[in-house]
Amino acid sequence: MLHQKKYTLAFILLLVLLVICFCISISFGSVTIPFTDTISAIFGGDLQKESWGYIIRNYRIPKAITAILTGSGLALSGLLMQTLFRNPLAGPFVLGISSGASLGAAILIMGASLFSGVFTFGVVNNVTLAIASSTGSFLVLLAVMIVAAKVKDTMALLIIGLMFGSITAAIVSVLSYFTDAEQLQQYIYWSFGSLGNLSWSQLGLLGAIVGTGIIISIFTIKSLNAFLLGENYARSLGVHIKKQRFLIIVATGLLAGGITAFAGPIAFIGLAVPHLTRQVFNTTNHKTLIPAVLLYGAILMLLCDTIAQLPSSAYVLPINAITSIVGAPVVIWLLIRKKKMVF
Amino acid sequence: MKILKIALFSCFLILASCKEKTQQPLPTTTAKPTKANLSYAKGFSIEKQANGITILKITSPWPKAESAFTYALIPKDKAATITLNKDDYDAIVTVPVQKLVVTSTTHIPALESLGVLDKLVGFPNTDYISSTAARTLIKEGEIEELGVNQSLNTEMVIALNPDVVVGFGIDNNNKTYSTLQRSNIPVVFNGDWTEETPLGKAEWIKFFAPFFNAEAKADSIFKTIETNYNDAKALAKKATNRPSVLTGGLYKDLWHVAGGKSWMAQFLKDANANYLWSDLQETGGVGLSIESVFDKAGKADFWISPSSNSSYKQVAESSAHYTQFDAYKNKKIYTITLVKGETGGVLFFELAPNRPDLVLKDLISIFHPDVLPEYKTTFFKPLQ
Repeated sequence: MLHQKKYTLAFILLLVLLVICFCISISFGSVTIPFTDTISAIFGGDLQKESWGYIIRNYRIPKAITAILTGSGLALSGLLMQTLFRNPLAGPFVLGISSGASLGAAILIMGASLFSGVFTFGVVNNVTLAIASSTGSFLVLLAVMIVAAKVKDTMALLIIGLMFGSITAAIVSVLSYFTDAEQLQQYIYWSFGSLGNLSWSQLGLLGAIVGTGIIISIFTIKSLNAFLLGENYARSLGVHIKKQRFLIIVATGLLAGGITAFAGPIAFIGLAVPHLTRQVFNTTNHKTLIPAVLLYGAILMLLCDTIAQLPSSAYVLPINAITSIVGAPVVIWLLIRKKKMVF
Repeated sequence: MKILKIALFSCFLILASCKEKTQQPLPTTTAKPTKANLSYAKGFSIEKQANGITILKITSPWPKAESAFTYALIPKDKAATITLNKDDYDAIVTVPVQKLVVTSTTHIPALESLGVLDKLVGFPNTDYISSTAARTLIKEGEIEELGVNQSLNTEMVIALNPDVVVGFGIDNNNKTYSTLQRSNIPVVFNGDWTEETPLGKAEWIKFFAPFFNAEAKADSIFKTIETNYNDAKALAKKATNRPSVLTGGLYKDLWHVAGGKSWMAQFLKDANANYLWSDLQETGGVGLSIESVFDKAGKADFWISPSSNSSYKQVAESSAHYTQFDAYKNKKIYTITLVKGETGGVLFFELAPNRPDLVLKDLISIFHPDVLPEYKTTFFKPLQ
């Protein structure tokens, strides 16, 4: 009971923090825009400069919303995987989802150099990249599903996911070897991850994907709690193991695959956020953990994005590097301070 | 059996102790060596010694190179009388060269204008070559494909046994070149790409000249290019307006513009245009956030080289933000990607460093059509 009260307060604090981080994220960027103008841009007022309105409305706000969606989606899929495999090292990409996406993107960007010299596979832009990488991750996921139906043991599934990852990474290496600098650069930039550059319609699609993933997860809360105690125990509680495992994998695939398609492979968030969350919400009940990781992930991503934009300078850092540079020391510090891991 | 082994081993010892070349004093002469006159290029120097040897020094094989490379070019007819200490030079080449391998498309136009393209026997990634003369030779099998991905196929090069390989490296760690040198094929580094000025790059034609005893020809070719360039520059000064220019395009969230001290920025300056990032100190590309680019260049008059896009439709598809720029709205975007060789190599990358006069005229005719009316551009074409 006391715990419940404490958690309610924590949730309120996190929500407030989320709103503050959102405001910070849209107020700061390379171009210095006064706060009053930022507010009037949101509410359609007059601005000193026409271009500012465009920057805030069509670049910063979509970027901040993308950050919220990617952060919370990746954090949730990380939590699902850690619970399913009962492994604190698991993350959203253990099933080879991100390597599948990388393969899709690599074939689109660099495939032309291997398969012919002149024509390309079509224009490389946000839409085609999203299609290519989601197709890639979907195919790898499909392979994992087929294996999951055959394999009884969840750990075997983990190894198989890693093997898929190795295979796709190897194919990407071969493609990279035969491609020219321009295309290699394009691929590398895709792999750095990026939150900007999504149009409102793409953002809607991403929102729908993440939303679906969250809804499926909510339906599996009961079995998630049981999974933590081991598959045999879950079975004795009457959990339909195969079906629930299938649902959890689908939710993860949607979340991690969809996000990777639109924002590129963003590392670390999925692995670290569940651990950060457990430090505060010391519980194994997913009813509490799921909303908590959603909030945590969103806040962390917004902060990372603000740092990556290097306020008031024309330079930008790749989001993928920032998530790890900022996140890893925090996790290390927390684990040392607590002297043990909460899992 | 044992005796045979000992005999073999002692033979080996005797052979190994033989000096490769015996040292002889160089013929003493009173004449002074003459230095080739280089007005713009900073990355190399040529010195002709009185005994007929040409010393080619490459001071900038790659950016921030710590040490220079020194090559000795010995005339064939004097090769028998001259002995050099191998250790003093990074490579010794007998000239005129009959067979050579080059590794960058930027080397092709120099060979072509010096009239020695027939001496080229191999090239890595021949698809990138645009020159029609070279393409014909490739079709006839005169120029062999030597592998892909900037990495020479070592075995094929050794089989071709060229008199010299003109290589380029981004640093001193190229295993292929080391292997070739060990198999006694001289490798000479060309650093034309490190040159930062338009005429400096073009002057590297003089680097190729001593390999073919074509110094006079190279000088006159460069003189013509220099005169054309300076005339065009003077012409551009006559224009009354200075349109503002934006360069490059997005890679995900980063917009790559040409640095303020880059080769392209100097062209823009000489074409009498106002390059919006001329204050940046970089000599290469610079990645900036899209916000800052839009803020600064949303109203720019012209947009040059929008990454690899070749049509307005493609530009709009690759990012919705592009469509907000005035240059997009007013259809003032020009690209180099539309002029390609037979197999897809972009002509600009091959020929532009050698022909800065053509690049400058292209830009002047775009920015100041009244100054160069009816001019047909070589590299830059309006987006489709």
